[in-house]
Amino acid sequence: MSMAALRRLLLLAYTALVFAFIFAPIVSTIVFSFNADRFPSLPWGGFSLQWYEAIFADATIQRGLTNSLVVAGATCIIATFLGFSAAYVDYRYRFLGKSVYLALAALPPTVPVVILGVALLTFEGRVGLSGTLQGIIVGHVVLSTPFAMALVRMRLADLDPDIERAAWNLGASPWATMFGVIVPFCLPAILAALFLTAAVSFDEFMIAWFVSGVNETLPVRVLAMLQGQVSPRINAIGAIVFGVSITLIVLAQLLLGRLSGRAARRKG
Amino acid sequence: MTRAPAGGRAPPAGLALPGTSPEGFMSETAPAPASSTAPPATVPSRRATGARFALFWGAPPALWQAAFFLVPLGFLVAMTFWSVKNFRLTPDSTLANWVFILNASFFRNAYVYTFWLSVFTALIASVAAFPAAYTLAYKVSPAARRFMIFMLVVPFFTSYPVRIYSTQIFFSPQGIINSALAPLGLGPLHVLNTPTGTVVGYLVLTLPLVVLLQTFALANVPRTLIEAAHNLGCGRFRTIATVIIPSARIGLIVAGTFAFVLAFGDYVAPTYLGGSKPPTLSILIADQVKSGNNWPRASVVAVMMIVTLMVVMLVMIGLAYGRRKGRA
Amino acid sequence: MATPMIELDRVAKHYGGQAAVADVSFTIDKGEFIALMGPSGCGKTTTLRMIAGLDQPSSGEIRLWGRRLNEDAPWERDAPLVWQSYALFPFLSVRKNVEFGLKQRRLPAPERRKKAEEWMERLGIAGFAERGIDQLSGGQRQRVALARALALEPEMLLLDEPLSALDPHLRVRMQSELVRLHRELGITFICVTHSHSEAFAMADRVVIMNEGRIQQIGAPREIHRRAANRFVAEFVGGNNLFTGTARVEANGAIALESPVGTVHAPAPSEGGPASGTTATLVVPADRIELASAGTGTGNEVTARVVTVEFVGTTVTVFLETEGGGELRAQRSLHEIENTPLAVGQPVVARWSPSQGFFLPG
Repeated sequence: MSMAALRRLLLLAYTALVFAFIFAPIVSTIVFSFNADRFPSLPWGGFSLQWYEAIFADATIQRGLTNSLVVAGATCIIATFLGFSAAYVDYRYRFLGKSVYLALAALPPTVPVVILGVALLTFEGRVGLSGTLQGIIVGHVVLSTPFAMALVRMRLADLDPDIERAAWNLGASPWATMFGVIVPFCLPAILAALFLTAAVSFDEFMIAWFVSGVNETLPVRVLAMLQGQVSPRINAIGAIVFGVSITLIVLAQLLLGRLSGRAARRKG
Repeated sequence: MTRAPAGGRAPPAGLALPGTSPEGFMSETAPAPASSTAPPATVPSRRATGARFALFWGAPPALWQAAFFLVPLGFLVAMTFWSVKNFRLTPDSTLANWVFILNASFFRNAYVYTFWLSVFTALIASVAAFPAAYTLAYKVSPAARRFMIFMLVVPFFTSYPVRIYSTQIFFSPQGIINSALAPLGLGPLHVLNTPTGTVVGYLVLTLPLVVLLQTFALANVPRTLIEAAHNLGCGRFRTIATVIIPSARIGLIVAGTFAFVLAFGDYVAPTYLGGSKPPTLSILIADQVKSGNNWPRASVVAVMMIVTLMVVMLVMIGLAYGRRKGRA
Repeated sequence: MATPMIELDRVAKHYGGQAAVADVSFTIDKGEFIALMGPSGCGKTTTLRMIAGLDQPSSGEIRLWGRRLNEDAPWERDAPLVWQSYALFPFLSVRKNVEFGLKQRRLPAPERRKKAEEWMERLGIAGFAERGIDQLSGGQRQRVALARALALEPEMLLLDEPLSALDPHLRVRMQSELVRLHRELGITFICVTHSHSEAFAMADRVVIMNEGRIQQIGAPREIHRRAANRFVAEFVGGNNLFTGTARVEANGAIALESPVGTVHAPAPSEGGPASGTTATLVVPADRIELASAGTGTGNEVTARVVTVEFVGTTVTVFLETEGGGELRAQRSLHEIENTPLAVGQPVVARWSPSQGFFLPG
């Protein structure tokens, strides 16, 4: 074997190791969620669905899942609307203080969620939002709007500014242009943003932990369970949560992939 | 004859500033669908139409982020000057919380510990990620690269507490790793409830992002530059050290900075893998809020964290962009 | 006098401190084909966009049938534009693109469809009605853009560099097609172009602009034969400009001491150059004949051939006189078949004095 081939092999092996480190927790969660043994260890104790049965019998988990779905559903709609709006304003307008405006819209993910959580808790306590699902939604929208904005802004970068003006020129008012041209053009990015923001919300545990009070979301329930005994039920919840998130991400990715594929064909 | 997107009418200067009245924004929502379906019976002046349209799209994101991001953070800062009397929060302008926290040895220890452990994590993650990023950027086909980049995005959106739980199981005394080591006469490894456990958790959190950002940074280094270095007889390691790393410097620094920021703010890894011993700043905050119920003191810690992050990011930005300017 | 269809009255447009259009006034009659022409940055596109309402004048007034148009929003005007980039809606089929404007007018779907069908037929794109825009060639996109604008059956059509994105052979075909459409529809066409050959081939009248100001307005022939100033004479191309000292001769004609020698031309009907003043004589290159030997009549300049350029059946010969004066002659191939034109060869360039004209002082 030549030196170059050997070097490449070593690099690939190392990369595989890094990916193994990253994915081992995910894979083992899924594998052990079907393990009959109580303690997740080798050798494998046989296939079983008992942990899934256990979590579906657990009312607190049920409630957590329902809460998570409600929060994710509301968050993704509001955050996608706000993200779309901010992206469009960035695309279309130039105005005094625009960089402040964009920073305000885009900065929240750079602030640790611990701090966002405390800040929202103290603030929402004052305005009567804390302990409610609305309180969680508010925080999740703050956190996920920048993701929606980034996706839509990337799409708008491909929209020739003349096209909006061409619509006006053909008699479409700004409102008609928005719903007849801009929104249809951005539709794949808007759908991707819906999925992505839903996934962000569905997995967020810190803000929810601070703000939720008795209205626990699923990740908050998991956090509470982590404090207790080792429980394979966490694996079962984890597997379900991974399933939901990965489905959302894959859907978003497929939509974006179709877009970039089309863009590549156009250029080619 | 500008073709810039903003070549059209600019909205009024006040657009989207937090000061815009919420009543105005609410009244804008109603006519939106109506005007898009009904013929314009009375033609509104174009300026008014344009301003209303701009406000409808521009105001909501700014108002939302102002109300639920800026105001709460401001409130957090204000609260550091409040006092707790008879277990009740009272608006005040005392420096007592600052004096208490900044002098408390538990805060100082936690601050130093969290800071250096996060720096250490950023360095480890950067070094560990580099060969993998190098491989992804240069040694695999574009299709494989696209797929692996997608794979690296996935963990970012999968429940982090569950992944930490899994990691906990791996390193537990009867866990996979120790049961594999025992027959070899090695171990048992004591990782759980030690700073090492915290760092492992930090790596679970940061490594995918660092590999991802480093891959982007390396992939953006012009191929011709690398080929030129090879042609000039630069060895592989010299090419990496003198051509690739300097050219990708900004991206590499950004990746390391992100690792620091994520680790610095993380609560889950130090709690469940580090066993809260010693506590990090985020654990202090959570404890103060959840059990101690001393929110003003927790706010001081939070503000200290924000200030630290801002300083670190500014220094790193300076490091990333500064020297290049000096050389140019 | 009847009200003109479109009137621009001292219109100006400033961006920041920069004047894109400075004080422009002209009128357009119904059914005219007007070309706005000039180098890039001359303000022609801004002028067109102000007529469409996409830019608002900083000062001055634009009127349509005598009514002030300045404050009308673009979507309230009836001035569809064919964009240089076509600006077709990439997510709509050809048919939906053509129907877009009709839909904005809330035309019922069956009528919309019928009208779109008609215009697609007329422009020869009915065959790809259901295709997406990214499946069309440049020429086909151009036709979709035209159909989309014309389906509104407007009283004027605006065109922004409509031919610049096309291949040369398509350009010529589209040019004659535009002329045919204009004749058949009888509506006003306002076309922005930087190419004088396009402008002169299509337009009834040409508005030549430079640095935000109008340099000359006139029929193509008029501009060719009577350039209003040096900018126009140089911009329209194919002109020789000789600058020198004028001398009024006994018969009223004017002799000019120029770098190519002493040349003669009739004095203009008014405001001709006085003796001893500096004047510029314009001689169109296609009026200059080439011969091996002089005849002793008219203007004759002996010069050496510098380069010979062939474009189709037209030949442009660049010459240089002994004294360093430059001139060029444009002939069709068959006219110079018998004239030897090797580089360095001396030839005689001749033209009748009446072919030249002086630029206004």
